[in-house]
Amino acid sequence: MEQKVCHKEDLQPGEMMESTLGKHSIVVCRASDGHYYAFLNRCIHQGAPLSKGKLCGAPAPTDNVGEYNFEKDGDILRCPWHGREFDVKNEGRMLVNEKYKVKNFSVSVENNDVIVYN
Amino acid sequence: MLIDTDVHERVMYEELLPYLEQPWKRYIEDCHWIQEKHMPYTQPAVAGVDRADARIPDGRPAGTDLSFMQQQLLDANNHEKAILTGALDPSPSSMHGWYEMATALATAYNNWQIDKWLDQDERLYGSIHIAAQEPWNAVKEIERVGSHPKMVQVLLPIDDKLWGDPYYHPIFEAAQRHNLAIGMHHNEPPVYYGQWPKYFIEWHTLIPTSHMNVVTNMIFNGVFDKFPDLKLIMIEGGFTYVPFLMNKMDQQYTDLRHEVPWVKRMPSDIVRENMLFTTQPLESMKKKELMQIIDQLGSDEIISFSTDYPHWDYDSPDAALPPNLDDDLKEKLYTENARNFYPKF
Repeated sequence: MEQKVCHKEDLQPGEMMESTLGKHSIVVCRASDGHYYAFLNRCIHQGAPLSKGKLCGAPAPTDNVGEYNFEKDGDILRCPWHGREFDVKNEGRMLVNEKYKVKNFSVSVENNDVIVYN
Repeated sequence: MLIDTDVHERVMYEELLPYLEQPWKRYIEDCHWIQEKHMPYTQPAVAGVDRADARIPDGRPAGTDLSFMQQQLLDANNHEKAILTGALDPSPSSMHGWYEMATALATAYNNWQIDKWLDQDERLYGSIHIAAQEPWNAVKEIERVGSHPKMVQVLLPIDDKLWGDPYYHPIFEAAQRHNLAIGMHHNEPPVYYGQWPKYFIEWHTLIPTSHMNVVTNMIFNGVFDKFPDLKLIMIEGGFTYVPFLMNKMDQQYTDLRHEVPWVKRMPSDIVRENMLFTTQPLESMKKKELMQIIDQLGSDEIISFSTDYPHWDYDSPDAALPPNLDDDLKEKLYTENARNFYPKF
Protein backbone atom coordinates (compact mmCIF):
# COMPACT_ATOMS: atom_id res chain seq x y z
CA MET A 1 0.00 0.00 0.00
CA GLU A 2 1.13 3.53 -0.68
CA GLN A 3 -0.54 6.76 0.14
CA LYS A 4 0.08 10.43 -0.41
CA VAL A 5 -0.04 12.05 3.04
CA CYS A 6 0.83 15.70 2.42
CA HIS A 7 2.66 18.19 0.26
CA LYS A 8 6.31 18.89 0.90
CA GLU A 9 5.68 22.42 2.11
CA ASP A 10 3.00 21.29 4.59
CA LEU A 11 5.79 20.49 7.07
CA GLN A 12 8.86 22.54 7.91
CA PRO A 13 11.93 20.88 9.47
CA GLY A 14 11.08 20.09 13.11
CA GLU A 15 7.33 19.77 12.46
CA MET A 16 5.06 16.75 12.41
CA MET A 17 1.47 15.93 11.55
CA GLU A 18 -1.05 13.20 12.02
CA SER A 19 -2.23 11.29 8.98
CA THR A 20 -3.63 7.91 8.00
CA LEU A 21 -2.27 4.97 6.09
CA GLY A 22 -5.09 2.62 5.28
CA LYS A 23 -6.71 1.89 8.61
CA HIS A 24 -3.64 3.04 10.57
CA SER A 25 -3.18 6.39 12.23
CA ILE A 26 0.37 7.50 11.49
CA VAL A 27 2.58 10.43 12.39
CA VAL A 28 4.67 12.06 9.66
CA CYS A 29 7.75 13.90 10.89
CA ARG A 30 10.06 16.24 9.01
CA ALA A 31 13.42 16.05 10.75
CA SER A 32 16.09 18.71 11.07
CA ASP A 33 17.76 17.52 7.84
CA GLY A 34 14.56 18.18 5.90
CA HIS A 35 13.84 14.49 5.30
CA TYR A 36 10.48 12.91 6.05
CA TYR A 37 9.86 9.98 8.37
CA ALA A 38 6.62 8.17 9.19
CA PHE A 39 5.63 6.02 12.17
CA LEU A 40 2.63 4.28 13.59
CA ASN A 41 0.91 6.94 15.68
CA ARG A 42 0.88 4.79 18.78
CA CYS A 43 3.48 4.70 21.52
CA ILE A 44 4.83 1.19 22.19
CA HIS A 45 4.42 1.79 25.91
CA GLN A 46 0.72 2.43 26.50
CA GLY A 47 -0.59 3.46 23.12
CA ALA A 48 -0.50 7.25 23.40
CA PRO A 49 -0.96 9.24 20.15
CA LEU A 50 2.61 10.30 19.37
CA SER A 51 1.46 13.13 17.09
CA LYS A 52 0.23 14.94 20.23
CA GLY A 53 3.73 14.93 21.68
CA LYS A 54 6.73 17.01 20.63
CA LEU A 55 9.26 16.78 17.87
CA CYS A 56 12.17 18.17 19.83
CA GLY A 57 15.77 17.51 20.86
CA ALA A 58 17.31 15.74 23.83
CA PRO A 59 20.27 16.05 26.18
CA ALA A 60 23.09 13.89 24.80
CA PRO A 61 24.67 11.18 26.93
CA THR A 62 27.55 12.73 28.86
CA ASP A 63 30.30 11.66 31.21
CA ASN A 64 29.85 14.74 33.36
CA VAL A 65 27.22 14.84 36.08
CA GLY A 66 25.19 18.03 35.79
CA GLU A 67 26.07 18.68 32.15
CA TYR A 68 23.32 19.09 29.55
CA ASN A 69 24.31 19.09 25.87
CA PHE A 70 21.13 19.58 23.89
CA GLU A 71 21.31 17.88 20.52
CA LYS A 72 19.21 16.40 17.72
CA ASP A 73 16.75 19.30 17.84
CA GLY A 74 13.85 18.33 15.62
CA ASP A 75 14.81 14.66 15.48
CA ILE A 76 13.40 13.29 18.73
CA LEU A 77 9.75 12.32 18.95
CA ARG A 78 8.70 12.64 22.58
CA CYS A 79 5.57 10.83 23.70
CA PRO A 80 2.77 13.10 25.00
CA TRP A 81 2.13 10.90 28.04
CA HIS A 82 5.22 9.46 29.77
CA GLY A 83 7.80 11.36 27.79
CA ARG A 84 9.66 8.46 26.23
CA GLU A 85 12.06 9.58 23.51
CA PHE A 86 12.21 8.05 20.01
CA ASP A 87 14.85 8.99 17.45
CA VAL A 88 13.07 9.56 14.13
CA LYS A 89 16.36 9.33 12.21
CA ASN A 90 17.21 6.00 13.82
CA GLU A 91 14.14 4.01 12.76
CA GLY A 92 12.14 5.33 15.72
CA ARG A 93 14.35 3.59 18.26
CA MET A 94 14.03 4.57 21.88
CA LEU A 95 16.97 6.63 23.18
CA VAL A 96 17.10 4.80 26.47
CA ASN A 97 17.18 1.36 24.91
CA GLU A 98 17.59 0.91 21.17
CA LYS A 99 16.11 -2.57 21.30
CA TYR A 100 12.70 -0.94 21.38
CA LYS A 101 11.24 1.07 18.50
CA VAL A 102 8.06 2.52 17.10
CA LYS A 103 6.93 0.84 13.90
CA ASN A 104 8.27 2.88 11.01
CA PHE A 105 7.18 3.16 7.40
CA SER A 106 9.09 3.92 4.20
CA VAL A 107 8.64 7.42 2.83
CA SER A 108 9.45 8.95 -0.51
CA VAL A 109 9.02 12.40 -2.01
CA GLU A 110 7.77 12.51 -5.56
CA ASN A 111 7.43 15.89 -7.18
CA ASN A 112 5.69 17.85 -4.44
CA ASP A 113 4.07 14.89 -2.66
CA VAL A 114 5.13 13.00 0.46
CA ILE A 115 4.20 9.33 0.02
CA VAL A 116 4.19 6.67 2.75
CA TYR A 117 4.44 2.94 2.01
CA ASN A 118 3.38 -0.10 4.01
CA MET B 1 31.37 -20.96 57.38
CA LEU B 2 30.11 -17.40 57.35
CA ILE B 3 31.23 -14.01 56.15
CA ASP B 4 29.15 -11.78 58.39
CA THR B 5 28.65 -8.40 56.71
CA ASP B 6 27.39 -6.46 59.72
CA VAL B 7 28.99 -6.76 63.16
CA HIS B 8 28.97 -3.81 65.54
CA GLU B 9 31.99 -3.21 67.68
CA ARG B 10 31.59 -0.41 70.16
CA VAL B 11 34.00 2.08 71.63
CA MET B 12 33.72 3.75 75.01
CA TYR B 13 34.69 7.40 74.79
CA GLU B 14 37.46 6.92 77.39
CA GLU B 15 39.00 4.28 75.13
CA LEU B 16 39.32 6.84 72.33
CA LEU B 17 41.29 9.29 74.47
CA PRO B 18 44.73 7.72 73.92
CA TYR B 19 44.14 7.94 70.17
CA LEU B 20 43.06 11.59 70.12
CA GLU B 21 45.39 14.52 69.68
CA GLN B 22 44.97 17.73 71.64
CA PRO B 23 42.92 19.84 71.71
CA TRP B 24 40.32 17.22 70.78
CA LYS B 25 41.18 14.99 73.69
CA ARG B 26 40.39 17.66 76.25
CA TYR B 27 36.89 18.27 74.89
CA ILE B 28 36.01 14.75 75.96
CA GLU B 29 38.30 14.49 78.98
CA ASP B 30 37.60 17.89 80.52
CA CYS B 31 34.36 19.04 78.90
CA HIS B 32 32.55 15.68 78.73
CA TRP B 33 31.71 16.09 75.06
CA ILE B 34 29.53 13.39 73.53
CA GLN B 35 27.95 13.30 70.10
CA GLU B 36 24.45 14.70 69.94
CA LYS B 37 21.76 12.07 69.45
CA HIS B 38 18.12 12.71 68.79
CA MET B 39 16.09 9.52 68.88
CA PRO B 40 13.09 10.43 71.02
CA TYR B 41 11.98 6.90 71.85
CA THR B 42 12.12 4.45 74.65
CA GLN B 43 14.57 1.64 73.93
CA PRO B 44 13.15 -1.21 71.87
CA ALA B 45 14.25 -4.24 73.88
CA VAL B 46 15.10 -5.39 77.40
CA ALA B 47 18.74 -4.27 77.04
CA GLY B 48 18.18 -1.17 74.98
CA VAL B 49 19.28 -1.65 71.38
CA ASP B 50 21.44 -4.67 72.30
CA ARG B 51 20.87 -8.34 72.84
CA ALA B 52 20.59 -8.67 76.61
CA ASP B 53 22.89 -11.71 76.62
CA ALA B 54 25.54 -9.77 74.70
CA ARG B 55 26.21 -7.42 77.58
CA ILE B 56 29.70 -8.09 78.93
CA PRO B 57 29.52 -10.00 82.26
CA ASP B 58 31.43 -7.22 84.03
CA GLY B 59 28.68 -4.77 83.11
CA ARG B 60 30.22 -3.06 80.07
CA PRO B 61 27.95 -2.53 77.04
CA ALA B 62 27.60 -5.14 74.32
CA GLY B 63 30.22 -5.04 71.58
CA THR B 64 32.98 -3.55 73.70
CA ASP B 65 35.01 -6.72 74.38
CA LEU B 66 36.82 -8.72 71.73
CA SER B 67 37.18 -11.96 73.67
CA PHE B 68 33.48 -11.98 74.53
CA MET B 69 32.60 -11.37 70.89
CA GLN B 70 34.94 -14.14 69.81
CA GLN B 71 33.27 -16.56 72.17
CA GLN B 72 29.65 -15.56 71.61
CA LEU B 73 29.73 -14.82 67.87
CA LEU B 74 32.84 -15.68 65.90
CA ASP B 75 33.66 -19.09 67.41
CA ALA B 76 30.07 -20.12 68.06
CA ASN B 77 28.97 -19.54 64.48
CA ASN B 78 32.15 -20.62 62.72
CA HIS B 79 32.77 -17.18 61.23
CA GLU B 80 35.26 -17.10 58.40
CA LYS B 81 35.21 -13.30 58.38
CA ALA B 82 33.25 -10.49 60.03
CA ILE B 83 33.02 -6.91 58.77
CA LEU B 84 33.03 -4.38 61.62
CA THR B 85 30.58 -1.56 61.06
CA GLY B 86 30.89 0.49 64.25
CA ALA B 87 28.12 1.46 66.60
CA LEU B 88 27.48 4.84 65.01
CA ASP B 89 28.46 6.54 68.23
CA PRO B 90 30.51 8.43 67.53
CA SER B 91 29.51 8.72 63.89
CA PRO B 92 31.73 11.47 62.50
CA SER B 93 29.84 11.78 59.22
CA SER B 94 26.58 12.32 61.11
CA MET B 95 27.79 15.26 63.17
CA HIS B 96 25.78 18.35 62.34
CA GLY B 97 28.59 20.77 63.06
CA TRP B 98 32.18 21.00 64.30
CA TYR B 99 33.61 19.02 61.40
CA GLU B 100 37.14 19.52 62.72
CA MET B 101 36.21 17.44 65.74
CA ALA B 102 34.52 14.91 63.45
CA THR B 103 37.72 14.58 61.44
CA ALA B 104 39.78 14.03 64.59
CA LEU B 105 37.30 11.46 65.90
CA ALA B 106 37.40 9.54 62.62
CA THR B 107 41.19 9.28 62.74
CA ALA B 108 41.16 8.22 66.39
CA TYR B 109 38.45 5.67 65.75
CA ASN B 110 40.27 4.10 62.82
CA ASN B 111 43.48 3.79 64.82
CA TRP B 112 41.61 2.29 67.78
CA GLN B 113 39.78 -0.13 65.47
CA ILE B 114 43.03 -1.32 63.87
CA ASP B 115 44.79 -1.64 67.24
CA LYS B 116 42.09 -3.28 69.31
CA TRP B 117 40.23 -5.34 66.76
CA LEU B 118 41.70 -5.80 63.28
CA ASP B 119 45.20 -6.60 64.52
CA GLN B 120 43.85 -8.92 67.21
CA ASP B 121 41.80 -11.42 65.23
CA GLU B 122 42.44 -12.50 61.67
CA ARG B 123 38.73 -12.94 61.03
CA LEU B 124 37.91 -9.27 61.60
CA TYR B 125 37.83 -6.70 58.79
CA GLY B 126 37.17 -3.01 59.18
CA SER B 127 35.29 0.05 57.98
CA ILE B 128 37.08 3.35 57.53
CA HIS B 129 35.27 6.08 59.43
CA ILE B 130 35.48 9.53 57.85
CA ALA B 131 34.07 12.99 58.37
CA ALA B 132 32.39 13.12 54.98
CA GLN B 133 30.99 16.62 55.45
CA GLU B 134 34.36 17.92 54.30
CA PRO B 135 35.32 15.57 51.47
CA TRP B 136 38.88 16.89 51.21
CA ASN B 137 39.57 15.84 54.80
CA ALA B 138 37.71 12.57 54.32
CA VAL B 139 39.96 11.79 51.35
CA LYS B 140 43.05 12.42 53.50
CA GLU B 141 41.83 9.84 55.99
CA ILE B 142 41.12 7.32 53.22
CA GLU B 143 44.63 7.94 51.89
CA ARG B 144 46.04 7.45 55.39
CA VAL B 145 44.45 4.08 56.25
CA GLY B 146 43.01 2.90 52.93
CA SER B 147 45.92 0.63 52.17
CA HIS B 148 45.59 -1.25 55.46
CA PRO B 149 44.99 -4.83 54.28
CA LYS B 150 42.04 -5.34 56.61
CA MET B 151 40.19 -2.12 55.90
CA VAL B 152 37.66 -3.20 53.26
CA GLN B 153 35.18 -0.33 53.03
CA VAL B 154 34.49 3.33 53.74
CA LEU B 155 31.51 3.78 56.03
CA LEU B 156 28.88 6.43 55.35
CA PRO B 157 25.79 6.87 57.50
CA ILE B 158 22.33 7.02 56.02
CA ASP B 159 21.09 10.08 57.82
CA ASP B 160 20.09 13.50 56.57
CA LYS B 161 22.58 13.83 53.70
CA LEU B 162 22.42 12.29 50.26
CA TRP B 163 25.99 11.33 49.46
CA GLY B 164 25.55 10.92 45.69
CA ASP B 165 25.92 14.66 45.14
CA PRO B 166 29.06 15.44 43.10
CA TYR B 167 30.35 17.43 46.09
CA TYR B 168 31.12 14.07 47.74
CA HIS B 169 32.49 12.29 44.67
CA PRO B 170 36.14 12.70 45.74
CA ILE B 171 35.33 10.20 48.50
CA PHE B 172 34.19 7.64 45.93
CA GLU B 173 37.19 8.28 43.72
CA ALA B 174 39.51 7.65 46.67
CA ALA B 175 37.61 4.52 47.71
CA GLN B 176 37.73 3.05 44.23
CA ARG B 177 41.43 3.83 43.95
CA HIS B 178 42.15 1.97 47.20
CA ASN B 179 39.97 -1.06 46.32
CA LEU B 180 37.54 -0.12 49.06
CA ALA B 181 33.81 -0.62 48.88
CA ILE B 182 31.37 1.97 50.22
CA GLY B 183 29.31 0.66 53.13
CA MET B 184 26.15 2.54 54.00
CA HIS B 185 24.38 1.92 57.27
CA HIS B 186 21.52 3.96 58.68
CA ASN B 187 22.19 6.14 61.67
CA GLU B 188 19.15 8.18 62.64
CA PRO B 189 17.61 8.90 59.26
CA PRO B 190 14.49 10.99 59.07
CA VAL B 191 11.81 8.72 57.64
CA TYR B 192 8.74 10.88 58.13
CA TYR B 193 8.89 13.92 55.87
CA GLY B 194 12.26 14.75 57.36
CA GLN B 195 11.15 14.18 60.92
CA TRP B 196 10.55 11.44 63.46
CA PRO B 197 7.31 9.47 63.38
CA LYS B 198 5.56 9.13 66.72
CA TYR B 199 6.75 5.66 67.66
CA PHE B 200 9.95 3.65 67.35
CA ILE B 201 8.01 0.88 65.63
CA GLU B 202 7.05 3.30 62.84
CA TRP B 203 10.60 4.56 62.46
CA HIS B 204 12.09 1.08 62.48
CA THR B 205 9.54 -0.23 60.00
CA LEU B 206 10.40 2.55 57.58
CA ILE B 207 14.20 2.23 57.70
CA PRO B 208 14.24 0.61 54.24
CA THR B 209 12.75 3.81 52.83
CA SER B 210 15.89 5.66 53.88
CA HIS B 211 17.98 3.01 52.11
CA MET B 212 15.84 3.51 49.02
CA ASN B 213 16.58 7.23 49.16
CA VAL B 214 20.30 6.60 49.08
CA VAL B 215 20.31 3.91 46.39
CA THR B 216 18.15 6.11 44.14
CA ASN B 217 20.30 9.15 44.84
CA MET B 218 23.61 7.38 44.15
CA ILE B 219 22.37 5.99 40.82
CA PHE B 220 20.74 9.12 39.42
CA ASN B 221 23.63 11.33 40.51
CA GLY B 222 25.79 9.25 38.22
CA VAL B 223 28.13 7.80 40.83
CA PHE B 224 28.39 4.42 39.12
CA ASP B 225 28.78 5.89 35.65
CA LYS B 226 31.65 8.01 36.92
CA PHE B 227 33.16 5.22 39.04
CA PRO B 228 32.11 2.01 37.29
CA ASP B 229 34.19 -0.24 39.54
CA LEU B 230 32.84 1.23 42.77
CA LYS B 231 30.97 -1.20 45.00
CA LEU B 232 28.19 -0.18 47.38
CA ILE B 233 26.95 -2.40 50.20
CA MET B 234 23.67 -1.41 51.83
CA ILE B 235 23.83 -2.59 55.42
CA GLU B 236 20.91 -3.43 57.70
CA GLY B 237 18.11 -2.38 55.40
CA GLY B 238 17.34 -5.90 54.22
CA PHE B 239 16.70 -6.69 50.57
CA THR B 240 13.00 -7.27 50.10
CA TYR B 241 12.46 -3.68 48.96
CA VAL B 242 15.02 -4.02 46.18
CA PRO B 243 12.89 -5.69 43.45
CA PHE B 244 10.32 -2.93 43.73
CA LEU B 245 12.97 -0.23 43.62
CA MET B 246 14.72 -1.75 40.60
CA ASN B 247 11.47 -1.83 38.66
CA LYS B 248 10.49 1.65 39.73
CA MET B 249 13.87 3.16 38.85
CA ASP B 250 13.90 1.40 35.45
CA GLN B 251 10.45 2.70 34.64
CA GLN B 252 11.32 6.22 35.75
CA TYR B 253 14.60 6.16 33.83
CA THR B 254 12.80 4.99 30.70
CA ASP B 255 10.47 7.96 30.95
CA LEU B 256 12.81 10.60 32.34
CA ARG B 257 16.27 9.85 30.96
CA HIS B 258 16.44 13.37 29.55
CA GLU B 259 16.93 14.76 33.06
CA VAL B 260 19.95 12.55 33.89
CA PRO B 261 21.83 12.08 30.61
CA TRP B 262 24.95 11.04 32.57
CA VAL B 263 23.25 7.77 33.55
CA LYS B 264 23.94 5.25 30.80
CA ARG B 265 22.83 1.91 32.19
CA MET B 266 19.46 0.69 33.35
CA PRO B 267 19.29 1.31 37.11
CA SER B 268 18.52 -2.36 37.72
CA ASP B 269 21.73 -3.29 35.89
CA ILE B 270 23.68 -0.89 38.10
CA VAL B 271 22.11 -2.49 41.17
CA ARG B 272 23.09 -5.97 40.00
CA GLU B 273 26.60 -5.01 38.92
CA ASN B 274 27.66 -2.59 41.68
CA MET B 275 25.68 -3.36 44.83
CA LEU B 276 25.23 -5.88 47.61
CA PHE B 277 22.47 -5.96 50.23
CA THR B 278 22.75 -7.48 53.68
CA THR B 279 19.94 -9.77 54.76
CA GLN B 280 19.24 -8.62 58.30
CA PRO B 281 16.65 -7.78 59.55
CA LEU B 282 14.94 -10.64 57.75
CA GLU B 283 11.18 -10.68 57.59
CA SER B 284 9.68 -14.12 58.16
CA MET B 285 9.47 -15.92 54.85
CA LYS B 286 9.19 -19.38 53.42
CA LYS B 287 11.68 -20.81 50.96
CA LYS B 288 9.20 -20.24 48.15
CA GLU B 289 8.90 -16.56 49.04
CA LEU B 290 12.66 -16.09 49.20
CA MET B 291 13.04 -17.74 45.80
CA GLN B 292 10.39 -15.44 44.35
CA ILE B 293 12.28 -12.40 45.58
CA ILE B 294 15.55 -13.73 44.17
CA ASP B 295 13.78 -14.33 40.87
CA GLN B 296 12.57 -10.72 40.86
CA LEU B 297 16.07 -9.47 41.67
CA GLY B 298 17.32 -11.32 38.61
CA SER B 299 20.30 -12.48 40.63
CA ASP B 300 21.13 -14.64 43.62
CA GLU B 301 24.48 -12.89 43.96
CA ILE B 302 23.52 -9.50 45.45
CA ILE B 303 22.40 -10.63 48.91
CA SER B 304 24.76 -11.46 51.75
CA PHE B 305 23.98 -12.78 55.20
CA SER B 306 24.51 -10.50 58.19
CA THR B 307 23.80 -10.95 61.88
CA ASP B 308 23.87 -7.33 63.15
CA TYR B 309 25.47 -8.68 66.33
CA PRO B 310 25.12 -7.60 69.14
CA HIS B 311 21.92 -5.68 68.49
CA TRP B 312 18.49 -6.67 69.70
CA ASP B 313 17.19 -7.60 66.25
CA TYR B 314 20.12 -9.96 65.62
CA ASP B 315 19.56 -12.62 62.95
CA SER B 316 20.84 -16.08 63.80
CA PRO B 317 22.81 -17.79 61.01
CA ASP B 318 21.05 -21.02 61.97
CA ALA B 319 17.48 -19.82 62.20
CA ALA B 320 16.84 -16.61 60.26
CA LEU B 321 16.75 -17.89 56.68
CA PRO B 322 14.04 -20.33 55.65
CA PRO B 323 15.00 -24.02 56.02
CA ASN B 324 15.94 -26.42 53.24
CA LEU B 325 17.65 -23.95 50.95
CA ASP B 326 19.80 -25.50 48.25
CA ASP B 327 23.45 -25.87 49.22
CA ASP B 328 24.62 -23.71 46.32
CA LEU B 329 22.39 -20.84 47.38
CA LYS B 330 23.40 -21.13 51.03
CA GLU B 331 27.05 -20.93 50.04
CA LYS B 332 26.36 -17.78 48.05
CA LEU B 333 24.40 -16.11 50.83
CA TYR B 334 26.73 -17.07 53.67
CA THR B 335 30.11 -16.59 52.01
CA GLU B 336 30.52 -16.41 48.25
CA ASN B 337 28.57 -13.25 47.49
CA ALA B 338 30.49 -11.22 50.07
CA ARG B 339 33.79 -12.74 48.98
CA ASN B 340 33.11 -11.82 45.36
CA PHE B 341 31.84 -8.35 46.26
CA TYR B 342 34.69 -6.90 48.29
CA PRO B 343 37.62 -5.92 46.06
CA LYS B 344 40.06 -6.84 48.85
CA PHE B 345 38.71 -10.39 49.36
